[in-house]
Amino acid sequence: MTYELNVAHLYGDLMNTYGDVGNILALNYYAKQMDVHLNVKVVSLEEDFHAADYDLAFFGGGQDFEQTIVSQDIQTKKAELTKFIESDGPLLAICGGFQLLGHYYIGANGEKLPGIGALDHYTLAQDNNRFIGNIVIKNQETGETYHGFENHQGRTFLGTDERPLGNVVSGKGNNGEDGTEGAIYKNVYCSYFHGPILTRNGDIAKHLLIAALKRKFPTADFSQQEALSIPATF
Amino acid sequence: MSLRSGFATFAGRSSYWFLHTFLHGGSSLPGKITLKLDPNILKALGANYDVIVITGTNGKTLTTALTVSVLGQKYPSILTNPTGSNMEQGIVTTFLNAKRPKTGRPIAVLEVDEANVIKVTKYIQPKAFVFTNIFRDQMDRYGEIYTTYQKILDGVALAPEATIIANGDSPLFNSKELPNPIQYYGFDDQPDGDFKAKPNTDGVLCPVCEHILHYHSLTYSNQGKYFCPNCGFHRPELTYRLTKLGEQTPTSSTFDLDGHSYTIGVGGTYNIYNALAAYAVGRFLEVSPDQISQAFTANERVFGRQEVIDVDGKQVTIILVKNPVGLDQVLHMIGTDTHQFSLVGLLNANYADGIDTSWIWDGDFEQLVNLDIPTVITGGERYKDITFRLKVAGIPDSHHIVEPDLEKVVEQIKLVPTERVYVLATYTAMLQMRKILAAKGYIKEGLGV
Repeated sequence: MTYELNVAHLYGDLMNTYGDVGNILALNYYAKQMDVHLNVKVVSLEEDFHAADYDLAFFGGGQDFEQTIVSQDIQTKKAELTKFIESDGPLLAICGGFQLLGHYYIGANGEKLPGIGALDHYTLAQDNNRFIGNIVIKNQETGETYHGFENHQGRTFLGTDERPLGNVVSGKGNNGEDGTEGAIYKNVYCSYFHGPILTRNGDIAKHLLIAALKRKFPTADFSQQEALSIPATF
Repeated sequence: MSLRSGFATFAGRSSYWFLHTFLHGGSSLPGKITLKLDPNILKALGANYDVIVITGTNGKTLTTALTVSVLGQKYPSILTNPTGSNMEQGIVTTFLNAKRPKTGRPIAVLEVDEANVIKVTKYIQPKAFVFTNIFRDQMDRYGEIYTTYQKILDGVALAPEATIIANGDSPLFNSKELPNPIQYYGFDDQPDGDFKAKPNTDGVLCPVCEHILHYHSLTYSNQGKYFCPNCGFHRPELTYRLTKLGEQTPTSSTFDLDGHSYTIGVGGTYNIYNALAAYAVGRFLEVSPDQISQAFTANERVFGRQEVIDVDGKQVTIILVKNPVGLDQVLHMIGTDTHQFSLVGLLNANYADGIDTSWIWDGDFEQLVNLDIPTVITGGERYKDITFRLKVAGIPDSHHIVEPDLEKVVEQIKLVPTERVYVLATYTAMLQMRKILAAKGYIKEGLGV
C-alpha cells in the first residue's frame, strides 16, 4: 500500500454494542481499495490520546453502564480530542460517542453526565420510550441518501455551528422533533445510525478517508481515490 | 389444592385434551385458560415438586434437556417443559399435563425465560437455579446484559434459600452479593497467563472498581478465569470444574470433569458449558459420575438441533444463529470439521430474528477466510446485508453465490463441490428453509426446532 493512516478506535473495548466494529471493518475494506493501509489502535480507559498520533478516529456506542464510565474517563482526553477536531481531524462518532462529544447527556437513571463539549450539542432523555426502527435520511449538500437502523433513548439537539448529517426522510432522527439526524462539524461526522453506518453508506467512509489523506499528505494527488465508486450494499 | 385451583386445573386439563384431540395443538392456551381462572395456580401445581429453574441467554434448551437426562439416571419422575414454552403460560401447561407419579417426590426441570423467573418464584420456591450465561442478545427486544441479570435476580430475591448453580467463568454472576448458597462451575484446564479479552467483547468491566478485567485463561467472549489487576476481584472458587479438554469435532466433544472423562455427541465449546451445567446439577443432586456419563452418551435425541439432512447426496446441517457470541461459537465449531465443506448464510430481520441486523458485524466471519471453503452462498430477505458482511470478511467473489430466493438456494446447494454443507440461518429463515425442504420431501414437516 502506498499510504498509511493511523486510526484511533476510541474505547473500542467498551463502546461496541451494535456492531460498531463494522465501521472499522468497512473503513478497512474501502481503504484497501484506495491503496491505503490502516493501523487501528484501541485507545481506552487510562490510556492517553495524542492528537498528533492519529489521522482518523472512530468512537462507537455503548451500554449505559459502560458509557457512564467512559463519560468520566474521557474528560482526561478532552483537550487532545478537541485539538484533533479543531485541526480538522476526521472523526466518526455513533450513538453514545456522538452524545459524549457534546456538552452532556442524561443517563439511564436521570442523572446529567458530562461530555467533552467539543461539539455544540446536548442530549436529553425521554421517558419509557426509545426511537427504534429503520431510518432513511438525505444530506442536502451532497444529495446522498443514507440508510440505517436507529435504537436510542437520547434526544439530541444540535448547536448553531453544527449541520445535520441529513434530514429525516423516514424514521425519528436526533430528537423526533426537528427533522435532523446526526451532525457534521468540520471533518467530524456524528449519527445514531447502526447498520453499522459505514457498511450501508460507503460514501461516508470515502469522505472520511479522503479527508484524512488530504490532511496528512497535502501535496499528494488523490484524484484516483476520489474516483472510487461505491456500489450500493443495502 | 383449593377449590378454585382445583377447578382451574380441571378446566386447563380439559382444554388441553380438547385442543390435542381435535385441533392437534395447544401448548400455551391451556395455561392461559388456567391462569385466567386462577392466577395463583402455579402455587398449587408446583407445590409437590423439587423445581430446578434453568435460565440465561444461550444454552437454556440443551442444558435443560441434558439435566433431565442426567437426573433421569437416578430419579424416576422428572417433568420438563417443551422447547420454547419457557414463559409463564407454557410452564403452567407443563404442570397441567404431568402424570401423577406413583412414588417419591417428583422433580421439575424448567427452562425459564430471563424475565419470567419472577413469575415462577412468586409461587414456587425452587430447589436450585442454574445460570448459564448472559450475552447481548437481540437488543431491540432484550436489554443490556446488566438489566437482563437484574431481571433474573428480581426473581431469585423471592427464593433466597434456593441454591444457585452458576457459570463461574462469567464475571456478571459474581457481581452481586446474594443471600443464596452459590456453587460455581467453569473451565480449569489451562495454565495461568495474563491477557485481556478481544476488544469487541461485551461485559469486561470489573463490577467492583470499573477497571478492565484481565484473564488468566479465556474460553470465549468474556468467559474465563478473570481477575482485576486493580482491585483483586477474581473468579470465585469452582465447585465443578472442567479439568481437561480433549478432541472437539462438529459432532462430538471429549473432556474431563473433575477428573472423569465424558463424551457428548455434539460439537461446540458452548455445548461443553451446557454439559458442565447439567453435570453440576447432577452432582448437586447426588447423581454419580458413571450415571452422568451414561446420560451423556445414551441420549442422542437431546442433540436434535443439529440433525443432518440428506439433500440429493449433500449432507446438510442447518444451524440456528441469533446473536454474535452464538454465531462465533458456531463458526468455531464448523471450523473443527476435518472435511471440506460449503457454507450457506441466510439472514432475515423479522421480529423473531431481531429487526436490527447490526449484530452480524460483531460475528467474527473473518475466521472463515482460513478455512478454504470452496463455495459460499448468501440468501434470505436481508441477503444484501449478509452478502456485504462476507465480502468485507474476505470471501472472494469467485467463490461467492448470492441467491435471495431460498428455493433456488436449495438448488444451488445440490451443485456445491463438497458433500458437507453448513447452513447458518436466523430463526425465520430457518423455518422457511425447513418448510421448503419438507415440501421437497427431504425432511418431515414439523420436526426439529
